Amino acid sequence: MPELGIYSLRFALVVAVFGIGVGVYAGRSGQHQWTRVAERSMFTVLAFVSVAMFALFYSLATNNFGLAYVSQHSARTMPLPYRLAALWGGQAGSLLLWLWLLCVYGAAAVWTNRKSSPVLMPWVIATLLLNALFFLVLTNFITDPFERLPPTHVFSDGNGLNPLLQHPMMTIHPVMLYTGFVGFAVPFAFGLAAMITGQLDTAWFRITRRWTLFAWSILGVGLLLGGRWAYEVLGWGGYWAWDPVENAALMPWLAATAYLHSVMVQEKRDMLKTWNLILIGLTYTLCLFGTFLTRSGVVQSVHSFTNSGWFGFVFLAYVAAIAALFFGTLIYRRKELVSPNRLESMVSREAGFLYNNWAFMALLMVVFWGTMLPVFSETFTGWFGDAPQRTTVGPKFFNTMAGPIALFLLFLTGVGPLIAWRRATAASLRKQFLRPATVGLVSGVILTAIFWGSVSIWTLACWTLSAFVVTTVTQEYWSAIHARVTLRGESVFRAFAELMRKNQRRYGGYIVHLGIVLLLVGVSGAAFNQEVLENVKPGESIHLHDYRFHYLTADAIPAQHYGGAQARVALYRGDTPLALMKPEKRMYWLEQQPTSIPAIYSTLQEDLYLVLSAVEADGSATFKIYRNPLVSWIWLGGLVYIIGSILIMWPHTKREPRPA
Amino acid sequence: MTKGAQIAVGACAIGLLLSWYAYTNSADATFRYYQTLEELQSVQSGIGGEALRVHGYVANASIERDVAGKQVRFRVQNDPPHAGGPTGSTLAVVYLSLETPDLFKDGAEVVVEGRLERRGAEMLLIADNVMAKCPSKFEAEATTL
Repeated sequence: MPELGIYSLRFALVVAVFGIGVGVYAGRSGQHQWTRVAERSMFTVLAFVSVAMFALFYSLATNNFGLAYVSQHSARTMPLPYRLAALWGGQAGSLLLWLWLLCVYGAAAVWTNRKSSPVLMPWVIATLLLNALFFLVLTNFITDPFERLPPTHVFSDGNGLNPLLQHPMMTIHPVMLYTGFVGFAVPFAFGLAAMITGQLDTAWFRITRRWTLFAWSILGVGLLLGGRWAYEVLGWGGYWAWDPVENAALMPWLAATAYLHSVMVQEKRDMLKTWNLILIGLTYTLCLFGTFLTRSGVVQSVHSFTNSGWFGFVFLAYVAAIAALFFGTLIYRRKELVSPNRLESMVSREAGFLYNNWAFMALLMVVFWGTMLPVFSETFTGWFGDAPQRTTVGPKFFNTMAGPIALFLLFLTGVGPLIAWRRATAASLRKQFLRPATVGLVSGVILTAIFWGSVSIWTLACWTLSAFVVTTVTQEYWSAIHARVTLRGESVFRAFAELMRKNQRRYGGYIVHLGIVLLLVGVSGAAFNQEVLENVKPGESIHLHDYRFHYLTADAIPAQHYGGAQARVALYRGDTPLALMKPEKRMYWLEQQPTSIPAIYSTLQEDLYLVLSAVEADGSATFKIYRNPLVSWIWLGGLVYIIGSILIMWPHTKREPRPA
Repeated sequence: MTKGAQIAVGACAIGLLLSWYAYTNSADATFRYYQTLEELQSVQSGIGGEALRVHGYVANASIERDVAGKQVRFRVQNDPPHAGGPTGSTLAVVYLSLETPDLFKDGAEVVVEGRLERRGAEMLLIADNVMAKCPSKFEAEATTL
């Protein structure tokens, strides 16, 4: 079976090379029968890579420890879902997953466009296959998932997945992230094709709009799931640490969010064309760069510490080459991308989108700089200083810098949808913003009166702006629904459905905005975080705020592929019993690694997060308790974000405009 | 002004604003100097209570959990104890919390953040953060016998 996988990857490589050649030829010559051949190359590559994926899944499921990859990442004691998820638990397998997803997207893009875009498609196929080729070269020659162990090194059991990865999230989070990353390859390919062919109108991003939305929303979900996973398993009470690997996934999302907004300006006013191409080029390049960052060990992170030397170099060279190809073509086409329209006023929706782009770029710069500072500082001081000196920044840097920029974006979230195109007059501003501004101002005053001195000005600004944004969204919905109800006699629900049907991007987008507002409010709750670390004997209690944690017992966990202790703690608020919390300290036998599994009691108001730090030698137990207000709002905001995204993407039978 | 010039001015303005903001807000706690134990020991005279990070390995049998004092004391050394070589000089660390990471044990690879202090003849690292390295997801380890 592994042989099947190996040969499939070899064949896929050959077909990919062929497909690139055919695609380029079809693009240059305009002969459509060769486009057909390129299409079939795409499908063939997908077929072969799928066989390779199946072969690896099979090897994992059947415990084939003769394969190095299976031996390193899987073990007999792991339940089947984790044995399968081990496919993306290591380097070679996760690259194969990336490759497979790229082929799936490629094939889907080809299939849905088989009867349209004849000019763009050959180049789209060539671009996608070029990317696939890189990953095929990696999995064929450099990190082979089907590498066999020498017979003397084969054991009857494997090393198993890191215990922190033996969590249901392991089956979802990495796949979501990759599905998000790889999805951006499609709009990227279309953008590049548009530049190569000179077809620089709106077609290339209208075709790929749903792809981009899908990839963007999945990536967002992946990020949230990552945060949730860290929260549930790592036991430090937090969900985001600005770790390089986290940042690597966030950066493409930031660029993609800017892109999704910026294309609206091109659609409406034929402006920001260069920006849009830059943004999609940046998004995909950052996806590749993020993939590189996570694997190369170039930046130390709690996630990855190995420095695999020249592999990282190869990957970085590839990222640079793709970026050079895209941005080189952009420079070549720069004159044709100049807009016939000018920015008429700094107070207009176009200007708002421009500020939006700038703000996202600033945020991106901050995250990029903070993430790469160790590399830059070491290189810089190595060249110019006495000795290389690595400087790093901690979460405080990112929080301090990102906070104000995020708040500016929050402000734009409220202003943007309401402000007029071209030039906002004083009258239109008054009409649109009187109510939200008043609500915002009043909330600001009240909140400041209550909380001044106990929270920072940024937290107050966050809440005030949130009130402002919520009012703008409510106003938009209310005025539109009210108009339909009074003029057409529709029910509220019918009116809502009609709004969604007629302008799903707008009204779905508002819901996504609401989700982001909830998320930011949830994050702002960290201003009130409390924690306590105490050692107690059975029968004693720990007090935090108005809660009482009554330590009952600690028992041994029933033996399975892990052991350890589980503490039982009764939670009271005053005299009211609320829950029985059971934090664990596990020891995974095979890997000889302990993990903490916290017990979390969540309400809308706050989370109580209980960690069993240790069962001490004298029978007492040390607990770390966090009180994290408003954390549930983050996950709630995420849910609203998903709902909003689905509403935006929902297929409707609409009369599509005739392609030009 | 041409559009190119406008963009350049805008980008510079934003860049300057960000840099100024970063500079005024990055207290010494924000920037950490990452050094290996070897580097640290060779540059000791320059270290005067500033925030730093040190990478090393927990020396065997050096961990003391002081439950009453709510701290953990241990020593770090430059090379992994299981590499079999000589221990070399070690650095004493006091971590002001009982909440050590799960992977923290003898021989664990750690990154310790804190400040150096002189205690008598020795340097002592007062740590406010101890991170034990997660075995890499993408390890290039070979399964050697």
